Amino acid sequence: MQPYELTLADAAEAIRTGRLSPVELVDSVLERIEQVQPRLGAYVSVTADRARHAARRAADEIAAAGARGPLHGIPAALKDLIDVAGTATSASSRVREGHRAPGDSTVAARLSAAGAVFVGKTHTHEFAYGLTTPQTANAWDRGRVAGGSSGGSAVAVAARAATFALGTDTGGSIRVPAALNGVVGLKPTYGLVPRHGVTSLSWSLDHVGPITRTVEDAALVLGALAGHDPRDPASVAAPPADHRPGPGTDLTGLRVGVPGNYYFDHVDPDVEASVRRAIARLAELGARLVDVEIPMTRYIRPTHWGLMVPEASAYHERTLRAVPELYSADVRVLLEAGELMTAGDHLRAQRARTLLRQAWLDMMDTVDVIAAPTVPITAVAAGQTAVTWHDGTVESVSDAYVRLSAPANVTGVPALTVPVGLDPQGLPIGMQLMGRPFGEAAVLRAGHAYERTGTAGGLTPAA
Amino acid sequence: MSTDDLTPSEAARWAARSGLPLAPERQGAVAATADHIHSVVSVLRELDFGDTPPSAAYRAGGEQHDAAV
Repeated sequence: MQPYELTLADAAEAIRTGRLSPVELVDSVLERIEQVQPRLGAYVSVTADRARHAARRAADEIAAAGARGPLHGIPAALKDLIDVAGTATSASSRVREGHRAPGDSTVAARLSAAGAVFVGKTHTHEFAYGLTTPQTANAWDRGRVAGGSSGGSAVAVAARAATFALGTDTGGSIRVPAALNGVVGLKPTYGLVPRHGVTSLSWSLDHVGPITRTVEDAALVLGALAGHDPRDPASVAAPPADHRPGPGTDLTGLRVGVPGNYYFDHVDPDVEASVRRAIARLAELGARLVDVEIPMTRYIRPTHWGLMVPEASAYHERTLRAVPELYSADVRVLLEAGELMTAGDHLRAQRARTLLRQAWLDMMDTVDVIAAPTVPITAVAAGQTAVTWHDGTVESVSDAYVRLSAPANVTGVPALTVPVGLDPQGLPIGMQLMGRPFGEAAVLRAGHAYERTGTAGGLTPAA
Repeated sequence: MSTDDLTPSEAARWAARSGLPLAPERQGAVAATADHIHSVVSVLRELDFGDTPPSAAYRAGGEQHDAAV
């Protein structure tokens, strides 16, 4: 096994016990990037010299005083919406030509303090306003979409071209590409991870979180990211927590909600079968399955759009007037049309969000976790724009990919995607585990137990 | 096209009121996208909000001073 193939937890253990140096690990990942980047296009930029320098420093620090923690000397990729001082945050857009971040984002500073080594910045759908990331190919089939908007981060992790990565999630942008590429993605509770220094799509819905190979790895990264920062007005003073799941796989006492509506409507039969098998596995591990009805489903998409659309247009107000021709066509028309939404529509969405949050809290009184598909379909062919369901209904690919993930953005609840199998075309399927606000421990416990006993750990793309 | 849909020229006028000039060749696509967005978000008018406040929060002090983490 090459060092680049190690999970974060295994690499950290190898470094801690002196069997692997950060220099070897970073070199191995940089070589892997060189190997896969021409085929997959996950990275916007690779900072090899800077990474090798940081790896040598980490090696010296560890030799002198031991590892500061599990991220010390671990190679990481950042979605290119996340500021690193002195480097460009391109947002995968021509609009950001010549950009230089004045300082580190909170998450980059925290990862650096924990000893992580940044190997590069990964592609996003332009300014995170889309679900496909056209610059990047799916790690399992280059003719299919990476998913988005954190497509580069998910593909980099799936292809073993980063030991872990960060993404952002406004309607599913961590979970969708993670599911489509067979890796783990965690959207934490709204406010748990500060967004200072992260380019916004929609302030009221944006989250930052990890994309990793395993649930345990996601917990390790979350531990370094979480915590209050007053520079993000939504940041909360949550109590310190060790998010790392225990070694056991016994789920006795865990109540897992299984939706009777919404989450299994208009879902591909292969996706549904895999997710239901995974839910049955949770029950075999001791979880008690509880039927739940998802409330107010008719108002999820209107609320999501009513928040996101005008906020995105507001963020881009200056540049949309100064350099509109530099935006991609799909993003430009959304930003322009968003200017025409009334304040009444935006406020109605905010009031609907208040109602949705309370209805979800009431529903989640009876369960610890809700289990459901992450996305209703696996990765579609690049260029495909619509899906036709068995009843003749036609849905845009973007609407389909966001449909099952957006509720966790509107409500702010934590949501994890875990690989649960492959469809007959050999494409990954993800199960979504949602918890109560700040209930990361429960979703990580369930995901980790599944992962330890299911098929997910063996998923490796051929790329 | 429903009665409250925007025509391309109406979309251009609304955009102009927002300080956003729309070239003639963009007006049709922007009107169609704006109408689609409107058709989605208008569903929220079905809800009786009563005294429900909006979800946006404002703190006069600017920061949470009780932050212990």
